[in-house]
Amino acid sequence: MQDIDNEIRNLVAEIIEKDPSEVGGEARFIEDLGVDSMMALEILAALEKKYKIAIPEDKLAEFTTLNSIIKVAKQYIAASQTNA
Amino acid sequence: MLNIEEILKVLPQRMPFVMIDRVVEFDPGKKVVAIKNVTFNEYFFSGHFPGKPVMPGVLIIEAMAQSSIMLFYPHTNFTKDKLKNTEIGVGVYTPDPQVSKDKPAYYLTASKVRFFHPVVPGDQLKIIIDPIKLISSAGIVKASVFVGDKEVAGGELTFTKK
Repeated sequence: MQDIDNEIRNLVAEIIEKDPSEVGGEARFIEDLGVDSMMALEILAALEKKYKIAIPEDKLAEFTTLNSIIKVAKQYIAASQTNA
Repeated sequence: MLNIEEILKVLPQRMPFVMIDRVVEFDPGKKVVAIKNVTFNEYFFSGHFPGKPVMPGVLIIEAMAQSSIMLFYPHTNFTKDKLKNTEIGVGVYTPDPQVSKDKPAYYLTASKVRFFHPVVPGDQLKIIIDPIKLISSAGIVKASVFVGDKEVAGGELTFTKK
């Protein structure tokens, strides 16, 4: 599962235009990294495309740190594998 | 197909800032193809540029953005309890009378657009919008603009709806 963590870190870093090393697991997007709410939507869209999953829009509110995104993403990746 | 009267029921913009003339193809929440006829009488050609009329790129982006608003016609909105996750990126849309009454404002928040050829008087823009991700309050779309079979501009737009 470590691979997925890194993949998501790289994906998020690319969208918010930061170096992956700057995106700490608990760094708060808005306060610490200067991310706006629309970038959260871009991250959600990119995750859906990469992992062929669908994340409901109310989960966007949980997109506040890299760790919380990884948690949500893994939940839906696991669900899609069970269904497959 | 939607004519200008129907377009004006959806768009909050008015003359001289309506950048689409007709919607020739549309599937709410899924696809929009709109037409903009560019004539030498356009107000912006008098200044952009004298003796060398070229349609400003920002107004081509505006045409893309207004075409994207048409995705929400006829004032459709997500209803959360009907949201199904069967289709990636596109949810279930149902008409919402409240949205129709309030006529929301739309704000462009990001654009990644490239321009390939200048747009000049006599051109007919064909603006093709394919949503990448739409939620009840925002969207990301892929937009391509053609003159004939030549792509003159293309890219991605992100916008919010309030």
